[in-house]
Amino acid sequence: MTGVDRVADKPLRGVRVADFTWVWAGPFCTQQLAHLGAEVIRIESASRPCVTRLLPPFADFQPGPNRSGYFNQYNQGKRSITLNLKDPRAIDVARRLIACSDVVAENYAFGVMGRLGLDYESVRAIRRDAIMISLSGYGRSGPEKEFVSYGPATVPLSGFSSVTGYAGHPPMHVGISYGDPTAGLHGAFAILAALWHREETGEGQYIDLSLWEASTALLPEALLEYEMNGRPPERSGNRHPHWAPHGVFRAAGGDRWVSIVVADDREWAAFCSAIGRAELGGDPRFARAEDRKRNEDEVEAVVAAWTSEHSPEEATNVLQAAGVAAFPSMSNQMIAEDPHLNGRAFFADLPHPEVGNRKLAGVPWKLSDTPCRVEHPAPCLGEHTRQVLEEVLGYTAAEVDELTSAGVLS
Amino acid sequence: MSSGALTNLRVVELGSGVSAAYATKLFADLGADVVKVELPEGDESRHAGPFPGGVPDARASGLYLYLNANKRGAVLDLRREQGRRDLGRLLARADLVVENFPPPELSALGVEPEALRESRPHLVATSITPFGLSGPHRDHKAYDLNLWNAGGVAYLNGGGPGTDDLPPLATFGHQASFQAGVNAAIGSLGALLARRRTGRGQTVEVSVQECLVTILELTYPFWPYCGLTASRLGAKPIQPLDFFECRDGWIYLCAVEEHQWRSFVAFLGNPEWADLEIFSDRLQRGANWDALQPMIAEWMAEQSVRELYSALQKRRVPVAPVSTMADLLDSEHLNARGFFAVIEHPKGGSLRVPGAPFVLSRTPWRLARPAPELGQHTAEVLGESAAPEE
Repeated sequence: MTGVDRVADKPLRGVRVADFTWVWAGPFCTQQLAHLGAEVIRIESASRPCVTRLLPPFADFQPGPNRSGYFNQYNQGKRSITLNLKDPRAIDVARRLIACSDVVAENYAFGVMGRLGLDYESVRAIRRDAIMISLSGYGRSGPEKEFVSYGPATVPLSGFSSVTGYAGHPPMHVGISYGDPTAGLHGAFAILAALWHREETGEGQYIDLSLWEASTALLPEALLEYEMNGRPPERSGNRHPHWAPHGVFRAAGGDRWVSIVVADDREWAAFCSAIGRAELGGDPRFARAEDRKRNEDEVEAVVAAWTSEHSPEEATNVLQAAGVAAFPSMSNQMIAEDPHLNGRAFFADLPHPEVGNRKLAGVPWKLSDTPCRVEHPAPCLGEHTRQVLEEVLGYTAAEVDELTSAGVLS
Repeated sequence: MSSGALTNLRVVELGSGVSAAYATKLFADLGADVVKVELPEGDESRHAGPFPGGVPDARASGLYLYLNANKRGAVLDLRREQGRRDLGRLLARADLVVENFPPPELSALGVEPEALRESRPHLVATSITPFGLSGPHRDHKAYDLNLWNAGGVAYLNGGGPGTDDLPPLATFGHQASFQAGVNAAIGSLGALLARRRTGRGQTVEVSVQECLVTILELTYPFWPYCGLTASRLGAKPIQPLDFFECRDGWIYLCAVEEHQWRSFVAFLGNPEWADLEIFSDRLQRGANWDALQPMIAEWMAEQSVRELYSALQKRRVPVAPVSTMADLLDSEHLNARGFFAVIEHPKGGSLRVPGAPFVLSRTPWRLARPAPELGQHTAEVLGESAAPEE
């Protein structure tokens, strides 16, 4: 097994993360650090495991805390220990872990870390140069800081829903709890920046990340439309403010769709030739981008008439060969079976002790000299409790036995 | 005054549009010296808008002004030998270059990440491309909408049961490119941290499609775990998780935990229907949502979003307003946190924009200069790089 050597090469070799996060935003944040080679240790509770351990999909429909695809996707390469944080002896274990960790991450409701005696002030007293991040819906200051935040509600809160939706229809969601991964990624970047600063100065710091703010940061066009012109953009489905066609069109074969974008007149001419309607390239109704926008319903009817006779893959091949941007609207099955993604070795397909080999999303960036790939599947609940206590924290086997029988490590 | 976390880094940005620009914005906002290199025709986001008065003006495009504040701008014609030589001078002093030319242009211009690293072993060279630098789809052309579909996000969003005539739905803006930008920033800063130990840079290859596959939440694993396809057309298994129209706007109700549901119906005055067997738990409420939704909707129609938001939050029910742009800019909470920053731009005027996406306690996020005019700093940055290395 050469895995150990590869781990040694990774960018965050030697960085340890005490990971108190759960659900999605926090675990997705620390997932990035694990990809980069950090030793991420999740602190879990056996009586109240991570929400994602209890949610489907369960491998082959058999529920179990180690069988959830949701958990196993977003905790690859981490270790798991169980602590009953209601017990002061467990808090003592947590403090010992913090003392030997570079990064502390949490996304509990407001005030929880403080009640456990593990807020930033306490963490800093344990380890002066610690970097600590709190990911929360609202951030840790401001009049709404104690409001309850759930992932799905962050999407409308942060402004996405009011500008996303079909024309003339109600506001829509994103389809995923978009604030969570957005926060997780921004949080990972913030931690790396704080690590950089610590390398330069020896100083740690505290990072207050709000899902709301990290999300709203990705809506500049809508905010600036309002700021400049006093009105928000209208919900307009898949349409673009200046380009047409710009849509997702029904293809042959059921609920199958292909996205097509024509950004300029040259691409329009290429599109018309590719679908065997070269005469439309010279049609004054569609000649310039402004014309196509003005006659967008007609433009879309032309496109849809053609796509309805082709599979998304055929349509994509024909249009790409002509230099027109097209791609199927991919389902999870199409993604898992996609020859391109498989050919790039994107998926992580490691044997998991309870669910076997399952093809999960891997690392979306490739570093040429310090390769980052998933080395271990997600941990089973509490899989590494003894190992971490003995090897990392220096407890003796007898002490671990005692803590175990006292219910501290559950 | 303390300085930003990344003040000692020099970054060069090549390409056009959102992804590379957002990646380097994350560096610039923490103090890195970012030089944005544009081709003579200028970045495409100069034409994206929004524009004051709705009148296209390459000097006042909102997207460009937002993405490129805190950077200096140089114009280099990379199609010519002189432009490539000038780029070489900039890169000689740079720690990181982030580019998002698609593969055919990377090779036409001779700026593949490997080529940029030749004779510059210290350099980290990051490329963001739609489908990566290998594989059968490498050279496929794709705009943001194509990528949102290629990554599987669009297929998950739509109107639910009975709306199969409506297409998979894009999310507003340039979300595929933004996601790729943050991923590229992570990979790049990871590579720079590795350089502290190895003394060498490396290339970082980012595929936008792959970035999106990593954010499909619990939907993607339904295939490898259960052999099920996830689709926007299915009903939600649990409820309430839905939008409602109030008398003055829209609200999103998320009351899926039993105690949240109990608090919610108590606030409604415990109507009789709340005790019906068909609404007895969240799975039942999901299965019978077509019966439950209208009763909640009828009550919601009389309410005010603001009052409901505050009253239900007091009862620990996670509701949220469907914020309009005005709501965001007026939000007491965001303003108390100092979230919005102001861009002062000669053509764009004084504009509030999203500020720090995270707050670092010791190393501030800062807006120090507006986005550059086309080629504003060409002479300045080339002059600096002509000077001998210190």
